[in-house]
Amino acid sequence: MSQIALKGVTKSFGGVSVIHGVDLDIETGELVVFVGPSGCGKSTLLRLISGLDQPSAGAIEIDGRDVTRVSAADRGLAMVFQSYALYPHMTVRQNLSFGLENTRMAKAEVTGRVAEAARMLNIEPLLDRRPTQLSGGQRQRVAIGRAIVRNPTAFLLDEPLSNLDAELRVSMRAELAALHARLGTTMIYVTHDQIEAMTLASRIVVLRAGRVEQVARPLDLFNRPANLFVAGFIGAPSMNLFPTRAEGGTAALPGGRRVPMAGVPEGSEVTIGLRPQHLRLAQGNEPGFDLRIALIEALGTETVVHGELAGTSGDTPRRVFAILPGQPGVALGDILRLGFDEAYLHRFGPDGQRLVGPGRP
Amino acid sequence: MTSLGHWAGVLVTAPLVLLARAVDPLLRAWQRWTGIGGMAAFFLLPNLLIFGVFVLIPIVLNLAYSMTGGTEILLAQRPYVGGEQYARLLECQDYSRPLTCREDQFWTAARNTGLFVLFQVSLMVAVSLVTALILNREIKGRGFFRAVFFFPVLLSPVVVGLIWRWILQREGLLNLLVVNLGLEPQVWLNDRVTAFAAAVGVSTWAHMGFYTLILLAGLQAIPRDLYEAAEMDGTPPARVFRRITLPLLGPNLAVVLVLALIRGVQIFDEAYVLTGGGPGTSTLFLTQYIYEVGFASLLRNPGLAAAASMLMAGVLVVLTLVQLRLSRSSAGGQR
Ligand SMILES: Nc1ncnc2c1ncn2[C@@H]1O[C@H](COP(=O)(O)OP(=O)(O)O)[C@@H](O)[C@H]1O
Ligand SMILES: [Mg+2]
Repeated sequence: MSQIALKGVTKSFGGVSVIHGVDLDIETGELVVFVGPSGCGKSTLLRLISGLDQPSAGAIEIDGRDVTRVSAADRGLAMVFQSYALYPHMTVRQNLSFGLENTRMAKAEVTGRVAEAARMLNIEPLLDRRPTQLSGGQRQRVAIGRAIVRNPTAFLLDEPLSNLDAELRVSMRAELAALHARLGTTMIYVTHDQIEAMTLASRIVVLRAGRVEQVARPLDLFNRPANLFVAGFIGAPSMNLFPTRAEGGTAALPGGRRVPMAGVPEGSEVTIGLRPQHLRLAQGNEPGFDLRIALIEALGTETVVHGELAGTSGDTPRRVFAILPGQPGVALGDILRLGFDEAYLHRFGPDGQRLVGPGRP
Repeated sequence: MTSLGHWAGVLVTAPLVLLARAVDPLLRAWQRWTGIGGMAAFFLLPNLLIFGVFVLIPIVLNLAYSMTGGTEILLAQRPYVGGEQYARLLECQDYSRPLTCREDQFWTAARNTGLFVLFQVSLMVAVSLVTALILNREIKGRGFFRAVFFFPVLLSPVVVGLIWRWILQREGLLNLLVVNLGLEPQVWLNDRVTAFAAAVGVSTWAHMGFYTLILLAGLQAIPRDLYEAAEMDGTPPARVFRRITLPLLGPNLAVVLVLALIRGVQIFDEAYVLTGGGPGTSTLFLTQYIYEVGFASLLRNPGLAAAASMLMAGVLVVLTLVQLRLSRSSAGGQR
């Protein structure tokens, strides 16, 4: 049985519909990441689960109990806010204990839990400081600590790392992963950063404009994007997408190479996707397409090539990304012939949905 | 349209440009003479002049008057008496009973003012806090109500006093209502207690919009997610108010408290128009006392009035220092 279930949840503010019928099952102990572009409704969905907002329609269940009309406090969830929402006039210790003091918990138990959380998060020396006397990373820990002391059935985190600098973000990400492994508590984590999503999640929920586009484990999402949006959103640089047409069971790629294309009506508009990582320098007279190099990003371990398809030089040359291993001796303006394995192709039908059929599983 | 605007612009700026050209050499000369620091003095000069003429000199004159006697108006014709006026004001057998004092009116006025400040300031803080809390909620017509509560602040205090006199006088609106309800009409402004209460209530009504605005600004500065964090923890509303709203509103409340105190001590216009200090001396306040002693009584005594103003100024200076202290600490980001 899933621990948190959303059933046809919708939300509109005034007349504006923001969440359009979301169904989702989250298992106990999972770390589920909501990812999507800014404004797609991630925070709204999280707030609906938390109980801070009420859905316009649909139901939310926790442990099999319908909590749609249950107050936020009675759902047993704890939230970590993007702004941290620490009480500025209270010490760290008071911030941690404030929520517990609402319950009839014994004083000793409160003190014990605060001490335990402080130890776990390495904030013991900070307990008597106020939030203004803390660095961003320390505030972040206190915010997480305030959630931990409540011993919730699930944590809700809304872009918890977005206010930290890049370096701190990476280390806090690792700490959060370790914390999840240690506590084993369900976490729902909102981010617009796909690296955070890929590295942290047991499952990723890709949202766009208030709809779930795909729910999958990180690598499945990368290997088998369900539609063009996910294909373009996950992976950086993003997947190369070539619009083409199905003819006689095949479709032509730029440069003329034809690849099998089954399961769609003759003549329909289809899209073929190829990740930059899956392009390589063509060997011998292997068929492929020619790319004029417009920009080179040499990262040492790999080289990112931004190129324009030769033969499309007109008004809008088609941009193609390729990631070549190591440090190939290429220069700006060179024309490269790139090849690929058909096993790595992603095929999308006229409706933008992934086509099952030949291709990498 | 554009060319019209253009010419209007030229018309306004051309004289300014000419003026600047004319003044520039003078400024340069001044700066060469005094250095860059002197420029600050130059720009401060007009304000300092105004402040000096209308504030500083009157204060000094007031001090001088307070040490003179007689009924003459011109300072030069008044004999120097030293601290005699102060001694006269402070001469008392029993300070708790104004009538045993030589200047019993002064002490009555001081006691009345003290009581007025006590009641009016408590009422003011309570009423403006409650109003701000209500207006901070997402109620219907919030903008309308915010305007309504602020409206009396825009009225002249004399108008406020007149309006309420029409309402509260013997043949006023309130008694009309009372009679229509089949009750006995009351002499609201001729009864010691109701007249005093009316003075307190009316001045609160007249100024509460201002203080409500200060508190409302404070409430809106409290981040919403603090309340959401408290909601997630199931914090009861009373505890949220006590542990989150009140402490975070603290600096604003302190400013309201001190400003209301300062204004309360100076109570005059609306109360004077409303009750004229009566019945008897039950709503006689310090400012009215000073005014009457100095200007409006048969035997004018400017020296005594000046001495009383100096004493009152002492109280106000203390309160103002407190206020400056508070506003500095809240500006310093003590939150
Ligand atoms: N309280 C609100 N009232 C009106 N519109 C809102 C409200 N909260 C969010 N929205 C709208 O809902 C959409 C999704 O917002 P949000 O969930 O915050 O997106 P994000 O995925 O960036 O977290 C946005 O278009 C936003 O403008
Ligand atoms: Mg958001």
